[in-house]
Amino acid sequence: MQIYLPIAEISVNIFLLLGLGLGVGFLSGMFGVGGGFLMTPLLFFIGIPPAVAVSTEANQIVASSASGALAHWRRRSLDIKMGLLLLLGGTAGSIAGVQLFAFLRSLGQIDLIISLSYVSFLGVVGGLMFIESVGAIRRRGREKTATQPVSKRRKRRLIDRLPFKTRFPSSGLYLSVIPPIIIGFFVGVLAAIMGVGGGFIMVPAMIYILRMPTSVVVGTSLFQILFVTALTTFLQATQNHTVDLVLALLLMVGGVIGAQLGARAGRKIKAEELRIALALMVLIVCTKLGWDLVATPNDLFAILPMQEGGH
Amino acid sequence: MIFFLAATALLIQGQPDLEAPSDFAPRVVAALSQEIVEIRSDFAGADIILFGAVTGLEDTDDLVIVVRGPQTDLRVMRKERTFGIWINRAPVRFADVPSYYSVASTRPLGDVGTFSSLRRAGIGLEHLRLSAPDSERTEVRLGVEVTVSDVGDEIIEYRDAISRNRRRDALFAETASGVQMLEGGLFRATVALPPATPVGNYTADVYLFRDGRAVASGSVALEVHKAGMERLIYEFAHQHGWLYGLVAVALALLFGWGAAAIFNRR
Repeated sequence: MQIYLPIAEISVNIFLLLGLGLGVGFLSGMFGVGGGFLMTPLLFFIGIPPAVAVSTEANQIVASSASGALAHWRRRSLDIKMGLLLLLGGTAGSIAGVQLFAFLRSLGQIDLIISLSYVSFLGVVGGLMFIESVGAIRRRGREKTATQPVSKRRKRRLIDRLPFKTRFPSSGLYLSVIPPIIIGFFVGVLAAIMGVGGGFIMVPAMIYILRMPTSVVVGTSLFQILFVTALTTFLQATQNHTVDLVLALLLMVGGVIGAQLGARAGRKIKAEELRIALALMVLIVCTKLGWDLVATPNDLFAILPMQEGGH
Repeated sequence: MIFFLAATALLIQGQPDLEAPSDFAPRVVAALSQEIVEIRSDFAGADIILFGAVTGLEDTDDLVIVVRGPQTDLRVMRKERTFGIWINRAPVRFADVPSYYSVASTRPLGDVGTFSSLRRAGIGLEHLRLSAPDSERTEVRLGVEVTVSDVGDEIIEYRDAISRNRRRDALFAETASGVQMLEGGLFRATVALPPATPVGNYTADVYLFRDGRAVASGSVALEVHKAGMERLIYEFAHQHGWLYGLVAVALALLFGWGAAAIFNRR
């Protein structure tokens, strides 16, 4: 059954959209990721205009992060002070990202930038995750004989020398406010350009750069993602008119059901295997997008609409 | 407005004597099975019947039907390999390109009309006028005004790219046997509107060709617009963007919260 999407202005099979939502929702529930980095490229592949795919996906992430953020809020497993700082940067980043998006679209280079961003981020994150989880599995085998020496002492890094230090009681940190704002800004820009929540960048950044305790990382990241994607949705709708409500609702229906099923399935699998599987999936999407960049295209010409007055 | 369009569109008489001085002028009358196409949520393309009659038809006459959609400006870019990556380069702006263009005829166009008559009326994919005003200038060469393109001969490749791209989505089409001649000067043809049909005002022109030239023509108007839910959502998104954005966010929050509440209860 075909359904005509009023903003994307194309006709798509309704079951394909529900299935995509369900499938990506399942994976995101299983791996505990937002799923935007999978859904947005998939929407490109089925022919949704990139501008609409990115904006609409931001809207869907609002729904998928809302329930998670709420759960962490109830358990207080988040650092609100850190979250607010990230959000401050994220707000500025989102505003800048939406402008940058419109500018790149006017140059006719938005598809390229989106693809390049995906390839580089998915490649780095997927590669690191893969190496790290393979290492973890190897260590698991050796754990019985030898225990890893863990260095408790932290080196004084560049990040510790920055001014405007403040205490983060929930994370037990004494840190400058600058790094969280910069990380937030960066993720906000990505949210607007790539149509992702940015969890796959923010969670490693919180652990490795800010050195936050893992217990509050996921909650804080969801808190930031929820507000930044909500803002991105609002800005894209106001400025570019590219949020497709029909598409968003169909993806949400499949997404929330899939996420619940995926979360149940995920509990039965070991964490390291799960991470390897996620890393492989990230690398597959990365390879596909990367291949499309270098392979000789079927048509050497691109036909783009002129941008005056929106769509 | 719609009523007015429908009423005037219904039957428009052909203008006699386009080119050929004839003792009695043939006339073309045409109509559509549907003057308004509504795009609703289940829209997956539409087939419209164009039918009509020709008075003073001769056995050797041919009919050509051209349907043109609303015109838009386009930017065509050529992909070039830079550091191993294909990047869009060298944009050329094309003005007033029809977003939909289909030609149906009784016989292949080359047999129906002369090159100049097809070119003049812009009939056929190879005669469709695609102008790139920014890269063109008129020069007088050997006493004749000619259009010269800054892009040079490559402009032909750009034009071909537009046509190829549109044919892929069935927005441009040329069917050599698309017009059926029935008895007594009656004719019919199917206008196929694909799922990607853009909204706007369309015109269908019927040309009567005799000895390679168009001797009569008639035209009908067609309107494609969004209707029902699709129209409401589209207008809401464009007229009250900020409210639409708030609604989108609110719905998403409700959805996420609702799903969590339902699944946690089990």
